[in-house]
Amino acid sequence: MRSGMTLAAYLFLSPYLALFIAFMLLPTLAAIGISFMRWDILGAPEFIGLDNYRQIFGDPLFLTAIKNTFYFVFLTAIPMVVLGLALAMLLDQKLKGTAFVRTVVFLPYVVMVSTVGILWGWLFDKGTGLVNYYLTTIGIEPIAWLKDPHWSMPALAITTIWWTVNTNMIIFLAALQDISEELHDAATLDGAGPWQRFVYITLPLLRPAMALVTALTIINGWRVFGQAYVMTQGGPEASTFVIVQYIYLTAFQNFEMGPAAAAGVVLLLITLLFSLAQMKLMKAI
Amino acid sequence: MQDQRSNRAGKSLGGRTLAYVLMIVVTALWGAPILWMLVTSIKPESEIYAYPPTWIPDAPTLEAYGALFQRFPMLTWFRNSAVVGILTTALTLAVDALAAYPLARMQFPGRRVIMGVIFATFLLPYELLFVPLFLGLNSYGLVDSIFSLTVPASANAFGVFLLTQFFQAVPRELEDAAIMDGCGRFGFFWRILLPLTKPGLATVAIFTFVASWNNFFWPLIATNSDETRTLPVGLATLVGGAGMSMKQSVLMASAVVATLPTALFFLALQRHFVRGIAATGIKG
Repeated sequence: MRSGMTLAAYLFLSPYLALFIAFMLLPTLAAIGISFMRWDILGAPEFIGLDNYRQIFGDPLFLTAIKNTFYFVFLTAIPMVVLGLALAMLLDQKLKGTAFVRTVVFLPYVVMVSTVGILWGWLFDKGTGLVNYYLTTIGIEPIAWLKDPHWSMPALAITTIWWTVNTNMIIFLAALQDISEELHDAATLDGAGPWQRFVYITLPLLRPAMALVTALTIINGWRVFGQAYVMTQGGPEASTFVIVQYIYLTAFQNFEMGPAAAAGVVLLLITLLFSLAQMKLMKAI
Repeated sequence: MQDQRSNRAGKSLGGRTLAYVLMIVVTALWGAPILWMLVTSIKPESEIYAYPPTWIPDAPTLEAYGALFQRFPMLTWFRNSAVVGILTTALTLAVDALAAYPLARMQFPGRRVIMGVIFATFLLPYELLFVPLFLGLNSYGLVDSIFSLTVPASANAFGVFLLTQFFQAVPRELEDAAIMDGCGRFGFFWRILLPLTKPGLATVAIFTFVASWNNFFWPLIATNSDETRTLPVGLATLVGGAGMSMKQSVLMASAVVATLPTALFFLALQRHFVRGIAATGIKG
């Protein structure tokens, strides 16, 4: 009976496992392997130890990419979490119109990244973009958002927040709806004001959702690529050149597979490090 | 009972007013870019850069859509995206449902290890995989094919995770009774488990399709001809380089065409999207 169940289980699992091993597990291991090899598309692969890592860490462009990507994570992480929670709390109320506003905020989710880039590339145009038009109506001088290395990354961050904060909002909304009304009512009877209820009831109960949202936001931040590729092509002056674009450039335009794989492994290590640090931090609070 | 939630924030008139003001601001900030895209796509050339900007076109026209379809292989890109989306969704749904059944409902050696390894890939930046995937597919001559755009994507663990949760909720007694009746495990899976978990299957199907429709980086690498290029990659060629001189109305028309299928999908099936994100928090 028991071995019959094992056989059945593996029969059901086998189609997915075959795909998983071929297209997820083996490529992961292969990426790590290739990062220690010299591998141009034509010649035979050759083991060269840590040379690829030495090469990329000696490449100013890679260091710029790490710095820029970190800056992007820094600019997006806190607004994405805080705004996601604020939107969820605003739209969790039983007021007329919340369902409509939720739909509007969620709509960018289904817009593809090329379209997001095309659309916001124009909104941020210095001369004809809507952003500057409305800023000038309140007395702010036009900014050359995507042509100025100081403003290009903030512009990408704003675009990304508009595009993806809805995911965080939905996770927080689901968590808020799990918090029982009685807790809030009891606290109100005990004389707790809205702020006290938020700090002592809502926030502690939101911890698992907070952990999930923070981790996802940071990991996805490190993986940013499409927006930068479409809106600024990494410029101006490499101010939006990110790690994934370095992988793309190295592997698929310069055909240096070893260093590209090494950059991928560095990306993996960075995201793992951040996930671990974040988990430790959440436990400590 | 019905009005309980209103106690939370908007009890006082002042609180409610503030909430409505904020809701209007949020609607404007999130809705305006989408509306601008729609409005611009039907503007005549003379009105695109009108100052001050106009939100209602004086003389709406579809000429930008005409130019878009005439100058670019939009129909080919659109067809490729549709074929890739449908095939990826069908394959993913089939293998994910089969895999989720034993993970959710059977005890067997290796179960915990398999679940651990599969779900650990949620933390994996997929960009890491693209170099070896490209090299592997290239050695079989499979780059720039429908295969390279569909089959590798089906290894994503999101659907397995979601369906495992849905399958666990089906009562044990149903399965025991079905197997007693000589239905067999596959019979139970096919005739009872799947029909009972249609909402879960719908959620996985929708997410897989939208993720495939919007997928950018891998198709950018894995395609190099219009014969296989999907919409996101094709549209990206409209901007930068030669596309710089492209009229904004044509670009916005491309944005509308690309967004329309997923937007309609979303408006019709909103609750499935919400459930999918709430359950896992995984984008795509």
